[in-house]
Amino acid sequence: MAFMIRGAAVVALALGLATAAHAQKPVTLLNVSYDPTRELYQDVNAAFTAKYKVDKGVAVTIRQSHGGSGKQARSVIDGLEADVVTLALAYDIDEIAQKARLFPADWQKRLPDNSAPYTSTIVFLVRKGNPKNIKDWDDIARPGLSVITPNPKTSGGARWNYLAAWGYAVKKFGGDQAKAREFVARIYKNVPVLDSGARGSTTTFVERGIGDVLLAWENEALLAVKELGPDKFQIVVPSVSILAEPPVTVVDKVAKKRGTLEVAQAYLQFLYSDEGQELAAKHYYRPRNKAVATKYAATFPRINLFTIDEMFGGWTRAQATHFADGGVFDQIYENR
Amino acid sequence: MTDIDKAMLAAVARALHRLRFGSLEIVVHEGRIVQTHFTLGTDRTTGGPRFRGEKSMVTIRRKTGLVLVWALNAVVAAPQLLAQQDSAAAATQQRLDDLDQQVKILSRRWELYQDSVINAAKSRPSVSAGATGFQLKSAEGNFVLKLRGYLQADSRVYFSDDAQVLTNDLLLRRVRPILEGTVYRYYDFRIMPDFAGSAPTIFDAYFEARFEPEFAVRAGKYKPALGLERYQSATDVKFIERGLPTNLVPSRDVGLQIAGDLAGGVLNYNAALFDGVPDLASGLNDVADGKDLVGRLFIVPFAKQAENPPVDLGFGIAASTGNELGNTTTTALASYRSPGQATVFRYLTSSTAPVTGTVIADGRRERIIPQAYLNKGPLGLLAEYTISRQEVARDTGVTRTTEKLEHKAWQVEGSFFLTGERNSFRSITPKKQFDPFAGGWGAFELTGRYGELDFDDDAFPIYASPTASVTKEKAWAIGLNWHLGRNVKVMVNYEQTRFAGGATSGDRPDEKFFATRFQTSF
Repeated sequence: MAFMIRGAAVVALALGLATAAHAQKPVTLLNVSYDPTRELYQDVNAAFTAKYKVDKGVAVTIRQSHGGSGKQARSVIDGLEADVVTLALAYDIDEIAQKARLFPADWQKRLPDNSAPYTSTIVFLVRKGNPKNIKDWDDIARPGLSVITPNPKTSGGARWNYLAAWGYAVKKFGGDQAKAREFVARIYKNVPVLDSGARGSTTTFVERGIGDVLLAWENEALLAVKELGPDKFQIVVPSVSILAEPPVTVVDKVAKKRGTLEVAQAYLQFLYSDEGQELAAKHYYRPRNKAVATKYAATFPRINLFTIDEMFGGWTRAQATHFADGGVFDQIYENR
Repeated sequence: MTDIDKAMLAAVARALHRLRFGSLEIVVHEGRIVQTHFTLGTDRTTGGPRFRGEKSMVTIRRKTGLVLVWALNAVVAAPQLLAQQDSAAAATQQRLDDLDQQVKILSRRWELYQDSVINAAKSRPSVSAGATGFQLKSAEGNFVLKLRGYLQADSRVYFSDDAQVLTNDLLLRRVRPILEGTVYRYYDFRIMPDFAGSAPTIFDAYFEARFEPEFAVRAGKYKPALGLERYQSATDVKFIERGLPTNLVPSRDVGLQIAGDLAGGVLNYNAALFDGVPDLASGLNDVADGKDLVGRLFIVPFAKQAENPPVDLGFGIAASTGNELGNTTTTALASYRSPGQATVFRYLTSSTAPVTGTVIADGRRERIIPQAYLNKGPLGLLAEYTISRQEVARDTGVTRTTEKLEHKAWQVEGSFFLTGERNSFRSITPKKQFDPFAGGWGAFELTGRYGELDFDDDAFPIYASPTASVTKEKAWAIGLNWHLGRNVKVMVNYEQTRFAGGATSGDRPDEKFFATRFQTSF
């Protein structure tokens, strides 16, 4: 018995030492995100890790993974160990919740604003001088125009593009879905190349010089103009567009397994902080924080925005109708 | 040419309808010169200009040459030609722009196609071959099939064995192909037969559901987590034969186990229910209803610094308990061996009908095994202490006696890499592979150990014969391991064991043997 007691004491001591050692250990997070957020999260990561080091004394390293939102979601479902996901649309995160069961199905209720700390919308990027005189969605559907947009089957941004066009058409034609479909079909007749992600489409339009107009995230378009110069490109804001809400969540099971849950939660909370909101606005994402939004009001033109819920009844219905295999998009694109 | 330029040229062309250059007047129609006149002063009769006629024109042509006329024609025709050329150039430019876009689109589509080919390749199953075996893996990693295995070819030479109790031998010690894999993400399996004996035997055959590192369920036949050196893979042990404490733990048993790593691998736990086989045995079927409960707690304090721990330390304790009942056919008791694999202790048996006097397991079986390993740089140490208790009975037909016997064994072994490799409980990779053409000599590891096995004195003479079974073994060994690479090892051992008892007079003679092993594993 004495032997057992001594053994238990040694075990307890060793565990205590091990736990103490664990508390000081650097933490690594993996943020699996969508295509155009590279620059945003580079800055967010730097700011958060510095703050966390000061507040908690823990060194955090954050790795980033970017790609088409749908593709990224599939990677997580297939086993990519993300501590947090910051994707383009709620449907992709719902897919992870349903298929991999890595976090609760009501994940969107865990953070404010449906877990979307910033928003964006869809605008047009055209070449300087707007040589094709593109002003609104009707111009995108003109015969002979070359329109660049990614593949809605793999890209979250592309799905927002598609739904923005559809929503405009529904409004234009007084709710006539058949006419909306014909309108969107005309747009996709003008699409010569389907990239898998929004960043790929930007490359196609900007670097490869293909097309007359790029349907783009507002932040991506503003970034392109800033990076490449207003002497080469300009933004055209359509009369109507869609309110895009890219959401975020902690991947509970992975974070718990890796012992990163606390850091992962703090990381996403940081996006809602004044500093996080400033960074979002700096990278051309529309901030939720009213004070920050007011400060950056000049950056973001006022647009008549509709939401996915009011126009399509939510992501689940939109996905099933338009983007599921054999859905409306497949029919449109195959019959081009 | 801009639109303004074109307009100016058109105006010039219209103005050129009738041009006068001094005494020369030119009449133009539809861009071509139709008449040319030289004014020869004023006609005195009419007061108008006096012209030289057609004849004069011919004369002029002859005199001034054709050059002037052609030049004038060119000047007059230029605006129309330029306009025509502009129109053609614009069309050509448009055509070029269209072609440029087509080329760019085709080029981009080709780029995307290549990306899709690469991505498609990623979604295809992968085949790999390497030091850890051959592997077939589905693209997403949920299904894996691995072919591994090892082979050990040994030799043993016994000294001071004039009676040839033990046979100098060249033998296949282990021939074990291993088929293991994953069938959808969480579910692993392993099948390992051994073809080295007289008949093929299944050593490992189990299924494991591994949902989290903290929790895995295993069912089948495998090593119970008891003896530390027994738990070490046969390819990684430091000596050709395991030390004396391994006598007192089972080799393989059939059971159901839960296990996992807590706190990031710092604490490893095992809890299992087994059929309950005797020491050293590898079971397949149980002979009684009683089962063994096996548990082990093992701590690796620096598991989270696996890449570069200050010291590679692991320590813990394992234990088992069960109620085992044998019979005269299957006694559920073990015989024990020397390091040279000679049987040096066996319980009394009888084959005389009616069978009486055979010793059988008759109640509680318990094992307690504190254990530890430590590796620091090239130095490695392993130590364990094993207690195995078993209630036994012997029924002679006249009397039935029972006893709870306690056998104890311990050992300390050490090894040191002369070539500086980092020592490990598991396999090591030499800093330089053996390659006579490239100058590498592999890794050299010196080994040494000392161990004792003490059989319960109460076993004699009722349950074991003092003239046939020893009461104690004390063994020391030294060795040299040459790791030619990760997959090939040559081992040389010398081991000497001193016995107490076990002979008709005095002690069983010392066992001295020299052994070699050629091992390949993948």
